[in-house]
Amino acid sequence: MAAVQDAPAVPLPRPVIGEAAWRLGRTIGLPLAFAIFSVVAWELVCRLTKISPELLPPPSAVWEVLVGNPAILIEQAIPTTIELIASFGIAAAVGVLLAIAITSSEAVREALYPNIVMFQVIPKIALAPLFIVWLGVGGRSIITVGVFIAFFPVVVSTATGLVSAKPDVLQLCRSLTASEWQVFRLARFPYAMPYLFAGMKVGVTMAMIGVVVGEFITAQAGLGYIIMFASSAGETATVLAAIVVLCAIGLVLYGVVGLGELAVARWYGGQLPTSGVI
Amino acid sequence: MTVELPVGGRTLATPSRLMPTGTRALATLRQLRPVILPLATAGAGLVLWQCVCTLFHIPQVILPTPTEIAVELWRILPVLLREAVPTTLDSLAAFAFATVLGVALAIAITYSPLIRDTFYPNLVAFQLVPKVALAPLFVVWLGITSESRIAFSTFTCFFPVVISSVVGFSSADPSTLRLCRSLTASDWQSFLLVRFPFALPAIFNGMKIAITLAVIGVIIGEFISAKAGLGYYILYAGSHMDTAAIFALFVLCAMGVLLFGAVALAERQVRNRFGRR
Repeated sequence: MAAVQDAPAVPLPRPVIGEAAWRLGRTIGLPLAFAIFSVVAWELVCRLTKISPELLPPPSAVWEVLVGNPAILIEQAIPTTIELIASFGIAAAVGVLLAIAITSSEAVREALYPNIVMFQVIPKIALAPLFIVWLGVGGRSIITVGVFIAFFPVVVSTATGLVSAKPDVLQLCRSLTASEWQVFRLARFPYAMPYLFAGMKVGVTMAMIGVVVGEFITAQAGLGYIIMFASSAGETATVLAAIVVLCAIGLVLYGVVGLGELAVARWYGGQLPTSGVI
Repeated sequence: MTVELPVGGRTLATPSRLMPTGTRALATLRQLRPVILPLATAGAGLVLWQCVCTLFHIPQVILPTPTEIAVELWRILPVLLREAVPTTLDSLAAFAFATVLGVALAIAITYSPLIRDTFYPNLVAFQLVPKVALAPLFVVWLGITSESRIAFSTFTCFFPVVISSVVGFSSADPSTLRLCRSLTASDWQSFLLVRFPFALPAIFNGMKIAITLAVIGVIIGEFISAKAGLGYYILYAGSHMDTAAIFALFVLCAMGVLLFGAVALAERQVRNRFGRR
């Protein structure tokens, strides 16, 4: 990055404001334009080639389902949202606590951490049918599947964060005779924040996968159930509408985590201590 | 989701020639601690599992003991290995497609600002879409064939490769790139000699995520459409209240770890070839 400094220091004369506005328009406008273009192209292809709507319904058909029959989608979205929030909440809480326990001592960390990393690699989704054997058909087993999948990224990421505080800072704490708790609260925990939130963001997405797959294979209700049901009935427009709702729920939850990150960053004074690391 | 051990501040005591034998043995033991401790913990977990099952008389249908599992596993291993073949092949195919397509798209994004501005934000947004929900649609489009599972799995594991590779390609040291230009290296040369080696760690990070997601994608595909494969076997066994599914799980774990290990090994080879960074 030192290379930036030996660039020619003479600024070229140019219309600064127009340039900035144009760049902004480009960074927002181009992707939006592409997204809109894709939707329009999709609609046109569907209409012109007369693809059967069972195979690929045009966006307008999806929109019709969304607007024309919102009651069913909302009704099915409620159990999915509750399961999602429950499984993410449990996974985040248990994950952070376990990460704190793991990093509390070297021996515990060396004993548990490699096993947990190993679990990261295993395709845990395959356990979903077993949870049904253990917990029966219904919300409880779906939430457990979600927790089980969302939990590991939170633990691994938070544990990495908790041991990533700068050695200088820790040394300073020790020289100032800070207690273990003070070191944790004032140095290690704030340093772990970016990692914690990175883990939670992965966790939200994972919880979503867990809940949807859980609903695929067990549920009597929920968006996953609607998707399975509608796809086997050939109502592809309903499938896509349910996916749109699912995306909206996912984006809101992801946004909540992002807002939480902003709030925590502000609480710790402007910016996170290692912001820019991730 | 990098899988790396956190490095503690502790440095290992190196066994010195001047030490008495007992101390040296102790030092060796301490060096082996990162290997022994996790294994011991895993072993203790298994013993605890066995004890709990025997003491509380948990029926085998709910949770078999590790020894019962080991015996059963040995008995049905041939069946499981047969089921594992389609799952492994589909996962590998999906992973290969995703890697090739992902890196190619990442190169296009790196070299063309127009493509970057157009595609990249949409790709990042797509990361958040629960792609699993699209699995039934792939069945509608491509049928209950192996191709449909490979396509779905490619679709799920494609995005981490692209995003990781884009980050990698743009992480090349600017002063090195400038040096290439001053030495009149062609675009191709500076790509091959600078950008690509610099991007390797990030590309492999993306590939490591992708191999895990590829297996998950194939398993989900097998849950909803297959007539063979480990995912099908697990669902089938589960619906018959047959916890033999657990055995399939062990094979699956081994498969996941092996595939991940293969990618990690490839990473080491390639990075040695291009010089460690």
